[in-house]
Amino acid sequence: MAVAPPPTRRRKRRMDKVVEVVNIPLNWLEERSGIVGGVKYFLFRRVPRDTNWFHTLGSATLTAFLVQAGTGVILAFYYQPTPDEAYESIRHITHDVTLGWLVRGMHRWGASVFIILLFLHMGRVFLFGAYKYPRELNWIVGVLILPLALLMGFTGYLLPWDQTAYWATVVGINLNGTGPLVGPLLAQFLRGGDEIGAETLTRFYALHMLLLPGALFALIGLHLYLVVRLGVSSPPWSDEAAGRERPEPEPSGDGGLVRPRARVPGRPRGE
Amino acid sequence: MIVVGVIITLIFAFLWARDVMSPRRKRAAEPEPEPGHPAVAEAEPERYDRNAFLELTTLGLGGVITAVVALPVIGFAVLPAFTRQEYEGVDLGPLDNFPENEWREATFLLEPSAGEVSRRTVFVRSNGDVDGVPNMTIISNRCVHLGCPVQAGGPREDQDAETFQAGDAEVRLTPVQPANFSCPCHGGAYDTEGNRIAGPPVRALDRWTFAIEGGNLTLVAPYSVGEVEGEGANAQIEAYQLQGPGEHVDGLSAFLYPIQAQDFE
Amino acid sequence: MASRYITESREQHKRYKEDVEREGKAFHPYAMFHDTVMSLVVVCVIVGLACVWFFTADEASEPDGASTSGTLGVLYEEKADPGTTSFIPRPDWYFYFLFYLLRIFKWPDSVVLGTVGLPTIALVLLLALPFIDRRRERRLSRRPVALIAAALTVVTMGVLTYKGATAEEGTGATGDVARWIEENNIPEGDAQEGAQLFAESGCTNCHTYLGSGVANLGAPDLSGIGNEMDADQLQAYVANPRQFGNQVMPVYGDTLSEEQLAQIAAFLEASKGGG
Repeated sequence: MAVAPPPTRRRKRRMDKVVEVVNIPLNWLEERSGIVGGVKYFLFRRVPRDTNWFHTLGSATLTAFLVQAGTGVILAFYYQPTPDEAYESIRHITHDVTLGWLVRGMHRWGASVFIILLFLHMGRVFLFGAYKYPRELNWIVGVLILPLALLMGFTGYLLPWDQTAYWATVVGINLNGTGPLVGPLLAQFLRGGDEIGAETLTRFYALHMLLLPGALFALIGLHLYLVVRLGVSSPPWSDEAAGRERPEPEPSGDGGLVRPRARVPGRPRGE
Repeated sequence: MIVVGVIITLIFAFLWARDVMSPRRKRAAEPEPEPGHPAVAEAEPERYDRNAFLELTTLGLGGVITAVVALPVIGFAVLPAFTRQEYEGVDLGPLDNFPENEWREATFLLEPSAGEVSRRTVFVRSNGDVDGVPNMTIISNRCVHLGCPVQAGGPREDQDAETFQAGDAEVRLTPVQPANFSCPCHGGAYDTEGNRIAGPPVRALDRWTFAIEGGNLTLVAPYSVGEVEGEGANAQIEAYQLQGPGEHVDGLSAFLYPIQAQDFE
Repeated sequence: MASRYITESREQHKRYKEDVEREGKAFHPYAMFHDTVMSLVVVCVIVGLACVWFFTADEASEPDGASTSGTLGVLYEEKADPGTTSFIPRPDWYFYFLFYLLRIFKWPDSVVLGTVGLPTIALVLLLALPFIDRRRERRLSRRPVALIAAALTVVTMGVLTYKGATAEEGTGATGDVARWIEENNIPEGDAQEGAQLFAESGCTNCHTYLGSGVANLGAPDLSGIGNEMDADQLQAYVANPRQFGNQVMPVYGDTLSEEQLAQIAAFLEASKGGG
């Protein structure tokens, strides 16, 4: 019965055409930069079969950080970092600017969520033993990210310049001052002088907006690169953990039992 | 400055890269002639290794450029925090506002040009005259544990507060009856001479030196106190250079804090 | 020469790479799906918190709009006043464990330990962890030290954070006077005046009273002191604790008038311990 080609083949030919068209700019980009290949490698790389929901904590932390970065940049459009105007600009953002309350609220609560997820992620990595060879460097990078994130919280806390901001910062800076030998000098540097004042606020603003985020972006980038390069580790309780010990091969006196290969998602059958 | 540095870096980088690619480098990497030919060694044209010279110069100049850019920038970031701050006297108003043996909580602007951010508080008690000279106990309200605002342990009469205009800065005097001073942060407590009686503070409360100018009480400069013996006009005060909160002034732990920011000019 | 740990680890990693190549699943869309769902949850939580925070903070009558209460806290406090004598400083909640640590290290010579000593040691331990733990074992059932250390850390930080959050203040008791009057049925007149004085005079820095204040330096709870002493005894004690052998309590007779002392004594006599 010679009828029109079955619908699936027609759809398939249309799909092929769409793919062809989309590929034109992608191929142009790939030939001149290699970026497309990099993205493809990142997206379609293999991860262990038993990767589970615990492994999402890392990317959740990254999402929280990106929310902070995004809302932070928007807030910077309206915030004024001087003692006389900071408080008023915060009030302005909260009450007058369209959806300013939402952006400010997201930034403030995003900070707490970020810290919580950070600790949860750290705990997950610790309990999974995923800091052992070859991921020691990744763990160290992560531990360096932790105090930077806490410092972001500390420097950001001063910016609204209300009572709780001012006094928590007084205590925090003096805390640094109690460190032996260099403590007083460090406190002096953070304060920008003998007393907390306009220099302190500007300094904290620069730290919070430029220096610390720069360092964080760099370290997080390194952290992600190492994750992709070294691979994600399997949960330790898993029976099919990647890299598990293989049982010693049986001496071939018993007829050679062959383990059947399981069906694996994402791979065509027969490979 | 940065642009000049970048241009210099780029020029030298280009020269170095070109030299690395050139055939001369490959020749210089060949094995040296045997040591048994001193005549050849002396006449050898490549004795002065241009390669090494260029590499060293590049690194050296790179270092110079980095220093020329970085040192002023770092100096700019760090040094202003250490410039000496001269305290201008703070006028707290006529001496008559401070009746003998009564405490007043005085808030004032330490630096009127800086505005409200420089508002500070002291507890002032007049101890009468000693040898014809008025004697005052002036205690700072910053806790010497970590800098929290210390509160007077006693009733305050806010309704009897007086204000005094010193230029464009307002000084407010509130009568208080402290039996001690306490800090709300971590449980520090001090007696009426500022000595520590409980909690983590590491020394007595800081005090201010004062002067009487034209019948007005003037605060001169703050200083740190180790311990105070005696009371009021008879107080023996162990005075030290002003230090930050949490820093011991005496005892073994004082060795942890040998350098103070005020030691820099 | 590589240690046995490194050699075996390298072999294991080689096996890992082979296993992942052979049996692994593609990151996209399998693992990426999990990540995306979780990220959506995170973003929704953040937006939700922001909304609850804004809509439940009551717009108080402060001229600059500073609210005074809210389910998730106020929108902002009053403007910074460096000369205040009534504010109680607190850090952000994730620093509460450090804040409480500072209250534990009360002796002046130990302050450095609490401020920089312990946190530095903790950070160094964290950094050095991969070099301290030189076993390949990753199953928790075979890592008792790691499991106990993790449990201890979580419990300690949880307890410290909770205690930091609920840390009572000796100061700021003036807000509790109305509650004291009601709970202890303090009669009007001198006794209620005395309650106000009691709150203002810093008594709650050392004494507890009906849940307010802190117990410092061994000072007793005074909620029911009226059952043990009468007004005259109380007035004499407060005026001069030294004559009763108390070397620590301030001598209030030096600063308070007879009338004020009598009012405080009346209040304490009426304190018969929880209505």
